[in-house]
Amino acid sequence: MKKVLFSLLLMFTISLSSMASDTSADTAVQITTDTTVSAEAPHKSTYREETYQPMDFKDMMINFYHTTGINALIHPKEGVVTSQGKPMSAFHQTWGRVIMFGVTFLLFYLAIAKGFEPLLLLPIAFGGLLANVPIANIAGPHGLLGIIYNMGIANELFPLLIFMGVGAMTDFGPLLANPRTALLGGAAQFGIFGTLVGAYALSQFTPWFDFTLQQSAAISIIGGADGPTSIFIATSLAPELLGAIAVASYSYMALVPIIQPPIMRALTTPEERKIRMRTLRHVSRLEKLLFPLLVFSMIILLLPDAAPLVGAFALGNYFKESGVVDRLSDTMQHALINIVTIFLGLGVGSKLASDQFLVIDTLAILVLGLVAFSVGTAAGVLMAKVMNMFSDEKINPLIGSAGVSAVPMAARVSHKEGTKDDPTNMLLMHAMGPNVAGVIGSAIAAGVMIALFK
Amino acid sequence: MFFESIKIMFLGMGTVFLFLTTMVYMTKIMSKLILRYFPEASKTPASASQSIAPTQKINENAKIAAILAALQHHHALEQEGKI
Repeated sequence: MKKVLFSLLLMFTISLSSMASDTSADTAVQITTDTTVSAEAPHKSTYREETYQPMDFKDMMINFYHTTGINALIHPKEGVVTSQGKPMSAFHQTWGRVIMFGVTFLLFYLAIAKGFEPLLLLPIAFGGLLANVPIANIAGPHGLLGIIYNMGIANELFPLLIFMGVGAMTDFGPLLANPRTALLGGAAQFGIFGTLVGAYALSQFTPWFDFTLQQSAAISIIGGADGPTSIFIATSLAPELLGAIAVASYSYMALVPIIQPPIMRALTTPEERKIRMRTLRHVSRLEKLLFPLLVFSMIILLLPDAAPLVGAFALGNYFKESGVVDRLSDTMQHALINIVTIFLGLGVGSKLASDQFLVIDTLAILVLGLVAFSVGTAAGVLMAKVMNMFSDEKINPLIGSAGVSAVPMAARVSHKEGTKDDPTNMLLMHAMGPNVAGVIGSAIAAGVMIALFK
Repeated sequence: MFFESIKIMFLGMGTVFLFLTTMVYMTKIMSKLILRYFPEASKTPASASQSIAPTQKINENAKIAAILAALQHHHALEQEGKI
């Protein structure tokens, strides 16, 4: 049966090709006569000259095969350029793309089956899939991803819009009720600056890596556990590392419940974990209303370079707390942040092209990001212990780990670890204080870097 | 050049702590001022009883109305011979 079908198909192809060769001459004549007519015509015509060259059906098939992805993935060509316009190596055109398809499918698995930050990892992964499509050049300046990237990531707009939405979702009540806990959010930023030193040392004292100071700074911001801030800084300091930094940042944020607990338990005693904290006082509406303005006024005076990030954050929070523009704050919290998340994810995904992701630097970024996260967690816990030495009112060190920004995941982890030692100890609201302070802290750290590397 | 990164670390952490410490004190001052001059009208037990009493009355009336409506409905069904 198969043989019969195959022979029929072969006959059909041969007959078609012979017909094509017969008719091709006629069409050629037709075309030439048309062109002569148009040449003789004195008035301007809208008629376009025929550019299509007739060919045999066999040639047509061969030409068509040359435009398929199969051919592009098997036979690398000279002169293929990356989205930045640089020549692309044979490996990045062939196996590199296949490996990246595998990487994006791994990200799909993590996002869908494991529930790792699916809201961002899924768009990033699909963006990565599109960015590695051969021939179509989707990540190029005129492709879908390239347009999205230039529209809102290259000019740092999308992370700021996300910050607006995060601000509109944030409740500063717990921080206002116990302002001291803001210092825990500051200590956790040591994860950023400690990793900056580590990354730079790695490139200075080992032969494999060669990060500049700007690149080291962009990598270290992963320790802030703040996705939008990482993207914001990476775009301005090291856009070539954006894909790896964003993937590392969001992956580790999703891994907070796995990374943090061992570090928290290692650094605390069972007695410390059982410390009960005083119930938080009621915070008045006026306090919540004035707080974003207070923070923003301080930014204006001390660190205007962090004003875009903190300003967008304060704007969102102020709209929410004002209580008179619920429609706008509602849009920021839902519709706007959702739309921007789609674009941000796809735009970042465009940086997952094989030529940018499959470099040894990516491996270093993944390792350094993990170190940054762990150091930030440890610094927050240790800071709480130091504060307990100097104060009568004890702080449970478990809430120190919430100083990394990952809101509200890190606060939930603190609460969960606390209930393991004392099921009646409610730490969630106490942990929200350092958690939101961590967002402000990482924005300040980002501002310092922008100020230095401008 | 390596010491450059250590300098940045000290400057960065210093700035973060300076900012957050200032923020903590400013927040405390702000909260004190607000609680002193613009205290939120807290509900005293007296006002609470006054505010709850009318709602309780309304609830009672609503209950009575619901019971009466149910009884009427039941009677109507009895008259139609459905029960």
